[in-house]
Amino acid sequence: MSKHLIEVTVNGEKHSAEVPARRMLSDFLRDDLNLTGTKRGCETGICGACSVLVDGEVVKSCLSLAVQANGRNITTVEGLARGDELHPLQQSFMECGGLQCGYCTPGMLMTACHLLERNPRPTADEVREGLNGNLCRCTGYAQIVESILDASEKMRGN
Amino acid sequence: MRDFDFLEPASVAEASRMLADLGEDCRVMAGGTALMLAMRQRMLVPSHIISVARIEALRGIRFDPVEGLRIGALARHTDVADSAVVKQHYPMLAAMAAQVANPQVRNQGTLGGNLCYADPSTDPPTCLMSLDARVVLGSARGERVLSIEEFLVDYYVTAIEPDEIVVEIRVPAPPADFSGLYTRFLRTAAEHRPLIGLSLATRRSGSTCREAVLAVGASTPIPCRVPRAEQFLAGKTITPEVAAEAASIVAADIQPVSDARGSAEFRRDMVRVVARRTIAGLYGLATD
Repeated sequence: MSKHLIEVTVNGEKHSAEVPARRMLSDFLRDDLNLTGTKRGCETGICGACSVLVDGEVVKSCLSLAVQANGRNITTVEGLARGDELHPLQQSFMECGGLQCGYCTPGMLMTACHLLERNPRPTADEVREGLNGNLCRCTGYAQIVESILDASEKMRGN
Repeated sequence: MRDFDFLEPASVAEASRMLADLGEDCRVMAGGTALMLAMRQRMLVPSHIISVARIEALRGIRFDPVEGLRIGALARHTDVADSAVVKQHYPMLAAMAAQVANPQVRNQGTLGGNLCYADPSTDPPTCLMSLDARVVLGSARGERVLSIEEFLVDYYVTAIEPDEIVVEIRVPAPPADFSGLYTRFLRTAAEHRPLIGLSLATRRSGSTCREAVLAVGASTPIPCRVPRAEQFLAGKTITPEVAAEAASIVAADIQPVSDARGSAEFRRDMVRVVARRTIAGLYGLATD
């Protein structure tokens, strides 16, 4: 039942905390830091609702221990917007109707964020492939894919 | 998830001594994607987790034209997929790594962890077997090197001793006439785990296959080579008929598993299709 002092930067803000070894990163973000944008869905690595960026790369926070994040830089959905200015992905999801109930949306946004970082000009197939770790039970995905393609254009200045 | 102690050794020897002291109740963690899942579902309830993430000797991907490739056990699937030397010298390995599971798992899961878990429904072991890869095991007692065939014993069982960890994976330098292809077959596009992995590594002269190594995984408890198909392909000019006949040998010679994801007969039929497409595709023939 070891406890560990961890230091993590979340959305640009440094946090120090003592966590038990078994604290999941998703629980640390939601319950300790009150960043409830990151969702707990299946909690077994299937649905991707808990996706966050660790050092800029998307991972599932329900499959990571908080102690593994020690010294790392984490971005959650709360870190996407700049003040009142939405991230282009958020804007596109809103404009293209890329959500219904919204529960999968934070995970979709974080995965899409990393996808566009790696591939700023994806095809629709590449977007679908890139989303294969994220489930949506409402939309049928068509508008999510459309939203991400729209954001990729916005982010390239079109 | 039950409580446990989390330990972070800084060297292979320290990790090995911890493993020897703690015995059966501890588990080694690299990226942790598979282990966390097993623990959350209470399939594993370890008293201690030994994280190897701080062991520098387990990091890095290096290539030498004589020695070949050395992939540190902590290399993530993304690292293998993105590595310039892997892409240049072993494109089939880079392409395989780029398709493992899903982006989140590729960014966290490691090649060493993948091999140690010995999950049958995964891609790397099959591809590595066809490339004649070796697994380097380290402990306080020293090192030993096993082939993939020796390392993988059975469904979720490896030859690793209780005080050992995987240090690196070595892949021999490919010959100048090397040509290979790994194919994963999913029952539906939305799945993460392959129903079949089929890996073909050949020495090639134009449309002639001089030598072949062919391994099938994901449909068998552990990946297996198919010697009769390898011998059949050696020295042959690859035509659609040759690819089809070799594929029939592959389908006949494997011992497929039956489970919720597919019966043995379905898997055998799909292995025949995937084998034919892989052989034909590698040699530039139509795959339909």
